[in-house]
Amino acid sequence: MDTTIRELSYAQAIQEAMAIAMERDERVFLMGEDIGVYGGAFQVTGDLVHRFGEDRVMDTPISELGGAGVAVGAAVTGMRPIFEFQFSDFAALAMEQIVNQAAKMRYMLGGAVSVPLVMRFPAGSGTGAAAQHSQSIEAWLGHVPGLKVVQPATPHDAKGLLLAALEDPDPVMIFEHKLLYKMKGPVPEGYYTTPIGKAEIRREGKDVTIVATAIMVHKALEAAETLASEGIDAEVIDLRTIRPMDRETVIASVKKTSRLICVYEGVKTLGVGAEVSAMIAESDAFDFLDAPIIRLGGAETPIPYNPELEKAAVPQVPDILKSARDLVNGVR
Amino acid sequence: MDKASVNAKAAREEGKHNLPFAFRQYSPEQLKEALRKMYLIRRFEEGAEESYTRGFIHGTMHLSIGQEASAVGISLPLTDDDMITSTHRGHGHCIAKGADVSRMFAEFFGKETGYCHGRGGSMHIADVSKGNLGANGIVGGGIPIAVGAALSMKKQKTGRVVISWFGDGANNEGAFHEALNMASVWKLPVIFVCENNGYGMSTSTKRATAVPNIADRAAAYAMPGIVVDGNNLSEVAEASHEAVERARRGEGPTLIECKTYRHRGHSKSDRNRYRTKEEIEDWINNRDPIRLFEEQMQEYGVINAAGIEAVRADVEREIEAAIEFAKTSPSPDIASLTRDVYTDLP
Amino acid sequence: MPVEVILPKVDMDMETGRISRWYAKDGDAVTKGQLLFEIETDKAAMEVDAPASGTLRDISAAEGATVPVGQAVAWIFADGEEYTPTGKSDATPEATPKAAPAEMESAPHPYPLPAGGEREASASPPPSSPRSRGEDAGRQMRGNDEAPRATPLARRLAVKAGLQLADISGSGPKGRITRRDVEANIAVSSPMPAVKESLASTADAPLHAVWLRQGNDPSAMPLVLIHGFGADLNSWRPLFAGIQVDSPVLAVDLPGHGSSTRDIPENLDAVAEQVERTLSAHQIGPFVLVGHSFGGAVAATITDRGNADARALALISTAGLGPEINRAFLEGFVGARSEASLMPWLKQLVVDDSLLSKPFVNATLAQSADEGLRAAQKVIVDSYFADGTQTFDIRPALASLRIPVRVIFGAGDRIIPAAHVAGLPGEIATHIFAATGHMPQLERREQVLRIIQELARATA
Repeated sequence: MDTTIRELSYAQAIQEAMAIAMERDERVFLMGEDIGVYGGAFQVTGDLVHRFGEDRVMDTPISELGGAGVAVGAAVTGMRPIFEFQFSDFAALAMEQIVNQAAKMRYMLGGAVSVPLVMRFPAGSGTGAAAQHSQSIEAWLGHVPGLKVVQPATPHDAKGLLLAALEDPDPVMIFEHKLLYKMKGPVPEGYYTTPIGKAEIRREGKDVTIVATAIMVHKALEAAETLASEGIDAEVIDLRTIRPMDRETVIASVKKTSRLICVYEGVKTLGVGAEVSAMIAESDAFDFLDAPIIRLGGAETPIPYNPELEKAAVPQVPDILKSARDLVNGVR
Repeated sequence: MDKASVNAKAAREEGKHNLPFAFRQYSPEQLKEALRKMYLIRRFEEGAEESYTRGFIHGTMHLSIGQEASAVGISLPLTDDDMITSTHRGHGHCIAKGADVSRMFAEFFGKETGYCHGRGGSMHIADVSKGNLGANGIVGGGIPIAVGAALSMKKQKTGRVVISWFGDGANNEGAFHEALNMASVWKLPVIFVCENNGYGMSTSTKRATAVPNIADRAAAYAMPGIVVDGNNLSEVAEASHEAVERARRGEGPTLIECKTYRHRGHSKSDRNRYRTKEEIEDWINNRDPIRLFEEQMQEYGVINAAGIEAVRADVEREIEAAIEFAKTSPSPDIASLTRDVYTDLP
Repeated sequence: MPVEVILPKVDMDMETGRISRWYAKDGDAVTKGQLLFEIETDKAAMEVDAPASGTLRDISAAEGATVPVGQAVAWIFADGEEYTPTGKSDATPEATPKAAPAEMESAPHPYPLPAGGEREASASPPPSSPRSRGEDAGRQMRGNDEAPRATPLARRLAVKAGLQLADISGSGPKGRITRRDVEANIAVSSPMPAVKESLASTADAPLHAVWLRQGNDPSAMPLVLIHGFGADLNSWRPLFAGIQVDSPVLAVDLPGHGSSTRDIPENLDAVAEQVERTLSAHQIGPFVLVGHSFGGAVAATITDRGNADARALALISTAGLGPEINRAFLEGFVGARSEASLMPWLKQLVVDDSLLSKPFVNATLAQSADEGLRAAQKVIVDSYFADGTQTFDIRPALASLRIPVRVIFGAGDRIIPAAHVAGLPGEIATHIFAATGHMPQLERREQVLRIIQELARATA
């Protein structure tokens, strides 16, 4: 089948995925705050309410806990809800339903039900929205067995992973970095899925492996170009899914390059990079390490408001450059 | 003295019971100060909006233009010792509770001299020294905190009260219901003030809330629920006065609903798709709280046109100086990034 | 029945002891009364002798291990006695029922030593105790008593190549050994295609030599290093620990030292000739020559002979500039067999004796245990420093040199007086470091390195 590939923004790609899903499957519906006429805080649902009506694009009251629970209930009983949090930070208000209910219901009931729930979380800093609207909390949910957690980095994957999430019988949490919404990239028309649990090598290299998530993939790629001009050949892996994690791809890469940098926006301590590092340290790749592993994660602070402080609170391209140079030159 | 003031003066002398509450309760100086504060809030919001447009301000803002009577009216019976919790639309509350607009602008500009040293910005603005426990980025986030502060005041027998402002959207958060219940059960000195501007972001109260008035929720928690015209300073002040007195007497909480309207969008990225131009213009042209109060003041002879002009000029100067202060203030040192994540131990 | 070697109680209130050093390794033939290992207690270091003659087997407590008193740490099998594993795990609890098993404080050799030894392709005679000496040189480089710092990859490659980490100089931070360092050693010590040719000819090299570094810039002019009396090529490793160098670095073991021949040539020319042949076997083109003390005299002689293409010369605390030398040191050093008897002499080498790390001392002690080595060195003392006098003079050689020469001395040198630099030709640069003894390359490491690198760069 011929598929046309167009340039779409990340937000458009998600919107297209939701539209395709609603057209294909009557059970699919959207819930969230201001996703109707407002079009969503980040205009991701856009005008879907006009195409599919208020019954399928439901504005909820500002009731995150209740809303999430309603989505869980609907998912367990035959529907396919896609629940949008206005900001991923607000998931804190709904943790009970996500963590205690959605993640555990199937297990607690001995496999009698599935929870085919998709939740979307606009995440990350860079918008000046300060401490309660800028967090990267994917690792919180990545710690919960029963959930799957993905972080698409490209418009292509944003669409493919959302459609894959809808096919998945278990709850899938999709973290969308807010600064990516306007980023454009090639997106095939029509239906396709991107596998959950599979990382993608965005750039092949032999000197150092940079495992990145979400917007950090792009920072890593930018750094890799600069490094290439210095003779350092970096391999950039887009992790895409943090639970379940694609061990094979990362292990194979580290065995090839002998060096590992993990770049992620979430707070460094106890974050995604900690898991990747530990996974490598426990794996066959350990014997191939020729330098310490470096984690570049968010600073140990809430996200500050001041733009310079905000930038300093998360890894930037120069941080990646320095780490890669240090590792390859044996300085660290 | 113009004719209206003559009439008003006569009326006051003849029988105070015919005057609106605020004009009976407060001195002309206090009323002028209330007007000045409303105007200061208005001009602060406009100044912030302009600075935002010029790129001085990062992120987003939620402006309270049109809601000034609620901020100032509720605050009239308060002392500096009383406390408040505020919302994402909290600039007005902050000013009404006595904050210095220079340090507020400095915060918006992300400067070290700002109230939060550039860490919080618009959404977390607060002058804690004036009893403000903070604006809040989480809808309903401040309500239980206010209850906790009230519990603390009661245990410490301070006689202070706590105001918790929140919007109509917050009344559908679990935290609202849980907090009101506890405040009532424990008869805490807290006043819940819902600024119902008709929309939780884009979602109208009608589409989001099962009861016609937020104040109706009070019945479920056995406390008084009062609906007032939130754009009428005197009405707001009267409701606040009674609730504060009741709280100080130890009789427990009150829920006040100020029906009001925000002239601007929810935030700087709102395209106002969910309300009509006519609706917005009606509120601006016919129900502006400042104009309403100015008219009342003139009617009852508290101030004349020249007096109003003087207040405006005074505020103008204050705002200009404040923006200048913010512009010329130093930015935070990047090395201080993780300062105040934890308390420094001695 | 094999004889049990236990960790003896050597102090009153001693419950455990830490094995600081083994002087024999698994499979060694040992004689009753021979020094087997050294224990460190809170108070002192104690030596433990072999309780029987035979073959040492089943060493169960490595260096660094803390062992309960009375626990077996090895077994000695009599000649002809059939070896059967001693079942250490069984023996241990019997010996000390309540004792915990040996606890490793550090692991000097995380990987088992490969069979067949190291440097199979090296042209030099088999080293007498390469493991212990090399390891300690590595430790000395790291400055304190810890296991070699190496990346997992370096460890794996080293095992694969049959190399000891301790023999590899680490170029990474804190002397960390990385893949690059291991590969540099593989290049000189294993028959890789790229170096096959030179390896073939190193069969003619009379002296043992090791490439300490391949250098960041393989085209840079190599440095050739000649150690002083009583040292060996490993003594250069601390100078380069943890830093990047452009030049490849080849270090040579003089006759009677390290892993080179024990036959001592009768004069400096003969020594120089051996070095020349070694360099030629390693296909050295133009190079910068660095010599320390006695090695300085050898280096000066080589440049004077002109057979090798030395383009610059650095002489550190060099011998051959005057007759005086500390006779007591020479004799005391060569004669010392214990730490107690060695330490006072070692302290004479430096101004600040905190630079004498435990590993450094142990490494020197290990050499002193090698009778053949010490015998050879005695011959050197007797012939080159007869009666406490330097019997050779390099001043004529230096006077005729037309290459850049730098002479480095410590003002506080107690072996060879720094005053010997007086009267050198004007074009020879001299560097005298205050508060420095006979080991400027150890005591003024950064400055000495800078001087050598400047020399190398200027010459290139």
